Amino acid sequence: MSKDKILEVKELKQYFHTKKEVIKAVDGISFDIYRGETFGLVGGESGCGKSTTGRTIIRLYDATSGEVKFNGIDVHDKKSKKNLKQFNRQMQMIFQDPYASLNPRMTVREIIAEGIDIHGLIKNEKEKTERVQQLLETVGLNKEHASRYPHEFSGGQRQRIGIARALAVDPEFIIADEPISALDVSIQAQVVNLMKELQEKHGLTYLFIAHDLSMVKYISDRIAVMYFGKIVELADSDELYNNPLHPYTKSLLSAIPLPDPDFERDRTRTIYDPSKHDSVNAEFREVTPGHWVFCTEGEFKNFKLAKAKA
Amino acid sequence: MENTILDVRNLQVTFDTYGGSVKAVRGLDFSLRKGETLAIVGESGSGKSVTTKALMGLIPKPAGKIPKGEILFEGRDLAKLSDKQMQKIRGKEISMIFQDPMTSLNPTMKIGKQIMEGLILHQKLSQSHAKTRAIELLELVGIPEPKSRINQYPHQFSGGMRQRVVIAIALACNPKILIADEPTTALDVTIQAQILELMKDIQKKMDTSIIFITHDLGVVANVADRVAVMYAGKIVEIGTVDDVFYNPKHPYTWGLLGSMPTVDNKEEKLIAIPGTPPDLIHPPQGDAFAVRNEYVMQIDLEEEPPLFKVSDSHYAATWLLHEDAPEVEPPAAVKERMKGITSNHTSVREDYHS
Repeated sequence: MSKDKILEVKELKQYFHTKKEVIKAVDGISFDIYRGETFGLVGGESGCGKSTTGRTIIRLYDATSGEVKFNGIDVHDKKSKKNLKQFNRQMQMIFQDPYASLNPRMTVREIIAEGIDIHGLIKNEKEKTERVQQLLETVGLNKEHASRYPHEFSGGQRQRIGIARALAVDPEFIIADEPISALDVSIQAQVVNLMKELQEKHGLTYLFIAHDLSMVKYISDRIAVMYFGKIVELADSDELYNNPLHPYTKSLLSAIPLPDPDFERDRTRTIYDPSKHDSVNAEFREVTPGHWVFCTEGEFKNFKLAKAKA
Repeated sequence: MENTILDVRNLQVTFDTYGGSVKAVRGLDFSLRKGETLAIVGESGSGKSVTTKALMGLIPKPAGKIPKGEILFEGRDLAKLSDKQMQKIRGKEISMIFQDPMTSLNPTMKIGKQIMEGLILHQKLSQSHAKTRAIELLELVGIPEPKSRINQYPHQFSGGMRQRVVIAIALACNPKILIADEPTTALDVTIQAQILELMKDIQKKMDTSIIFITHDLGVVANVADRVAVMYAGKIVEIGTVDDVFYNPKHPYTWGLLGSMPTVDNKEEKLIAIPGTPPDLIHPPQGDAFAVRNEYVMQIDLEEEPPLFKVSDSHYAATWLLHEDAPEVEPPAAVKERMKGITSNHTSVREDYHS
């Protein structure tokens, strides 16, 4: 994999102010995403900040502080209309709920062609029709579907429409926020296979946000684990799965039910107790090349020692 | 059979719509034993939720009908009971945990009162007795400081805590059967693990029989004693959890197992089941799974397969089990899965030591 960074996130913070308190949804996270890879962002609890991270990166929220650079350009800077348009075209999003994310009053053709129109990619109607048909075929639907409305489709088919919409403007980077959580297992596999295929064909980069670690491991090259606004561990997906270091990652891995009755019978779940270690003095440290853990100096030494022994 | 608490025979459920009558459940046979957990799996539209609604007498009338079949519970056929008779069973003998704790609790009612409702109605407890019992129940489901918590409203609880409240309500009258319809789907993995542990714990204490609806095969492996796989309104395979996971016979079960990633199959494609489930207004002739089945034979398109016996505990409805059928092997990825993943999955078990 080339180490060309498409996205750089530095000390990103996203706070929300309510009447009573400040909610630190994202609390100083840093990571890079390389061109052509799939970066998985997982968290066990809802409210750990994984979706907020995705939404801040794509400029749906203004960051409280920190920096997001896309192709070297700061995402949250003031932009001219033209530059903003270009940014919007390069970065697209696939949403979790295929029922809520498609306008029920628009036909599939209108939904998919909306971005094409906004960005003026194709002016003539005939070519537009062809492009929509081609996109529908790319995602495994057929051209007759173009004139239908979202309610005529199943969840998996709707998610395909959402993917076609994202692809319509030829993006480089796609943020997929729990794209398969609302789908049945057999359909999940269809959508994941499709996403992998499209990545190979179009050289896409994905930020894949999910809570299903087994599917994330399957699709991702690298994985970051989030816990209450912080990334607690980041590593290559095999490394993270085989050698988890942070106790929260271990607890999360131990909680995933696996489709194997014998394994489930003597599963022991590791319970994470955040009070057991010092998170105030913790920092994000690189234990082995590419394997980062949020830990204190003391913990860091122990991890290093354990690694050296192994 | 001995110890059978519920016996469902040839159950059929239909819904009248403008497009025609939807045959949601098309002849279902299964029994539930005392103290066991039966998981029903299948994709949306396979009829698993409709089945549980039929057991609870919650099929919306007049559109929904049970044209045929029996639901035998302690010698009575629930399918024939009036609404009034059913009210005495629902919540008392058979109760239910729903998927979404946000919508199954009343947001304007203190949770103590919501738990007490059933106790006062079914068990004729006095206010004060019901209150004491409600506190006990909250304690049982692991809610800290139950005495003050009963005076709070649902929005003051987190998702996992709300689901615990829903479980407390379902358990209030010591039901003989607990139906859990995707009880952990809306929850996070760590909370899901806690709720599953809680349910197993309670089952041990009270000897409750549980019907567990889910589409997550990992959850099934965790909770179930037996598994029924449903497709297009029918059971296509039923057996003990070991039968179904380690010796699956139906191509649809193979598809389900193959569509979940294993720990090591990164480079392989997931086995997606092609296509979508059939239209149940006009169920196809023959085997409903035939058009999505890569092992399809001529007979699948003509005649519906009966449930073939694999062993005393294990049955599957596929013509592949007929003596004249050719020998076929499940896909390689499924065979890999059938061997179990325990061997190459040690890291998860290591304890954290600092």
